[in-house]
Amino acid sequence: MNEPIKMAASLRDLQKHYVLKSETVKALRGISFDVPEGDYVAIMGPSGSGKSTLLNLLGCLDRPTLGSYFLGDADVAQMSDDELSEVRASKLGFVFQSYNLIPQLSVVENIEVPLYYMGQLNAESRARSTGLATMVGLGGRLGHRPAQLSGGQQQRVAIARSLVNDPYFILADEATGNLDSVTTEEILALFQRLNDEGRTIIMVTHEDEVSQHAKRVIWLKDGEVQSDQPVENRDVFTAKRIQEISNNAEVRT
Amino acid sequence: MTRLFRTFKLGLKSLLLHPMRSALTVLGIFIGVASVIWLLAIGEGISREAQRQIEDLGAENIIVRSVKPPDGASGVGGTVDDFGVKRSEAEMILATVPTIEHVVPIRELQQNFIYNGNPNAKPVDGRLVGCTPEYAAINRLEVARGHFITHREVDAERSVCVISAVLADRLFPSEDPINKQMYLPEKLEYFSIVGVLKKRNATAAIGGSLSAQDFSLDVYIPISTMFQRMGDREIKRTGASFSISSFELSQITIQVSNVQDVPRTAELIESTLMDGNRDRQDIAVVVPYELLEQAKTTRLMFMMFMGLIAAVSLIVGGIGIMNIMLATVTERTREIGIRRALGGKRSDITQQFLVETISLSVVGGLTGVLGGLLCPLVVYYAREGVKQCAPDFYANLPEVAKIMSPEIVPASIPIAFFISVVVGVIFGIYPAIRAAKMDPIDALRHE
Repeated sequence: MNEPIKMAASLRDLQKHYVLKSETVKALRGISFDVPEGDYVAIMGPSGSGKSTLLNLLGCLDRPTLGSYFLGDADVAQMSDDELSEVRASKLGFVFQSYNLIPQLSVVENIEVPLYYMGQLNAESRARSTGLATMVGLGGRLGHRPAQLSGGQQQRVAIARSLVNDPYFILADEATGNLDSVTTEEILALFQRLNDEGRTIIMVTHEDEVSQHAKRVIWLKDGEVQSDQPVENRDVFTAKRIQEISNNAEVRT
Repeated sequence: MTRLFRTFKLGLKSLLLHPMRSALTVLGIFIGVASVIWLLAIGEGISREAQRQIEDLGAENIIVRSVKPPDGASGVGGTVDDFGVKRSEAEMILATVPTIEHVVPIRELQQNFIYNGNPNAKPVDGRLVGCTPEYAAINRLEVARGHFITHREVDAERSVCVISAVLADRLFPSEDPINKQMYLPEKLEYFSIVGVLKKRNATAAIGGSLSAQDFSLDVYIPISTMFQRMGDREIKRTGASFSISSFELSQITIQVSNVQDVPRTAELIESTLMDGNRDRQDIAVVVPYELLEQAKTTRLMFMMFMGLIAAVSLIVGGIGIMNIMLATVTERTREIGIRRALGGKRSDITQQFLVETISLSVVGGLTGVLGGLLCPLVVYYAREGVKQCAPDFYANLPEVAKIMSPEIVPASIPIAFFISVVVGVIFGIYPAIRAAKMDPIDALRHE
């Protein structure tokens, strides 16, 4: 019964150096932590702490100078550009601060983009994308363009898109930064619901209220992990509250 | 397959985001492709016309013309100008040059003609041509009624003639000309009409040595009869003064049995005639075959020139596309970042932008082909329009502009289309590679 906990991601002594003219800047000086499946991590830190650099590495948008980064069993630290693209398409789900939907595509087509790059577009995947759109409360707007949606709705499309490839974890970068408090609550409720269902979430934020919803907070300072602790007095939505919020969102939609 | 379809669908969606911009970009390629087809069609039309005119003279013929020397060039006033090819020379050519089929001696005179049965009628000014039976075949004259001059008539020096259709209409508006007598008031001679020809179009002037031939007012008689009745001397009275010229033949048309032998034969004939007198000025040797070859070279150069213009317009169109695509890439940096973050490889981005550029150029190519096919129609209506609105201007247009009809060169359609695709690839590849080279992190942050 003592099954080992599976890791969604593990970082071992991850370093990132930038060479600026003759000077070498060490943005990350050796980061190590594990993210077990089903975890909900908030990464925080002041500006200049290496938050963005870490985010880029976690998102496989960049390669570390030293160290290893395991996604499941694979070390992605030294992969080629094309291999990283494949990893991003198949193992990661991105949610950005500015939603980053493609303007000329409809809701359902936006959700499908990672599948398009995995070469898995078919009737089944279309059904899956439609299902995800419905799950985030946009079942009635499949054909809409991003410009026709509110910020909260766009972010929900982005969350649906991040789930379409069944990723190892969702990487959310200031996902609520552009939203008002009502919509922020709506998105955080959605994250909690997904986490309750077993999804792993890593989010980068600078807002304490947001990080209070996570299970664990990692503090960065000067490119190193300053603290890595579970959240005390975690801000948890009750099941009833989640239902209420999602109903309200549905009404406003 | 579905993926490629999706890429195309996406490309079209992106292009339709800026319909005006896309339409203007397409216009560049449209003009390029349409001009390729137009220029080739017009070039082909002009050169066909030139070729047809030269072929009218007969590619297998060699023409030796007598050239009247300028007045006073050969002697003091009062002496008789004796010039041109001789009958003996025609015979010599026939006897010594092996590659020839026929030698047709021709002597032409300007004469008045009158119908003997109607002495009150005004005389008609026309051309009296002394010739042999082969003349009809060489000049593509067809007999409508009766027959052309026969060998027997030539040998017997008979006073018979064959008249052209127009002359027949003028002299005999209401009678059958066959077997009627025609009178030449200047020569005091009667000729019996044995044949009437069908209408024949005039040939065009070729170079400087051969003037245009109008067959419409011709009377043909046996050359032997002409020599026997009229001799070699011609007296022209103009007012009080008169001039005498003496020439045996106006022209010899030599028909060569095999077209390939024409240049060789022409050289031989020329050296035979020029023998002993390198600067003989009173004859000119015209070789339509050489003119034909020359016309082909001219045509090739013309086509190359036209092609150059078309190529320039396509390059300009291509640069237009590249310009727009570079702007588009910059404008869509964010989208490129998103696509890279969501798993798009560099090659996917290259492909996406290349597909868009090619879509633009292919749409330009297709519409350009359609525009090109309209060329004969547009030229026709433009010509009619000019004829209606500015008749004076139309009258002054060169002959070729009036009769030339553009011929669509069938190969130009696939070529033009293919070129448009190639232009799309060539001018699309750089913006596409630039898009793919973007760092996804920077691209995502791009505002």
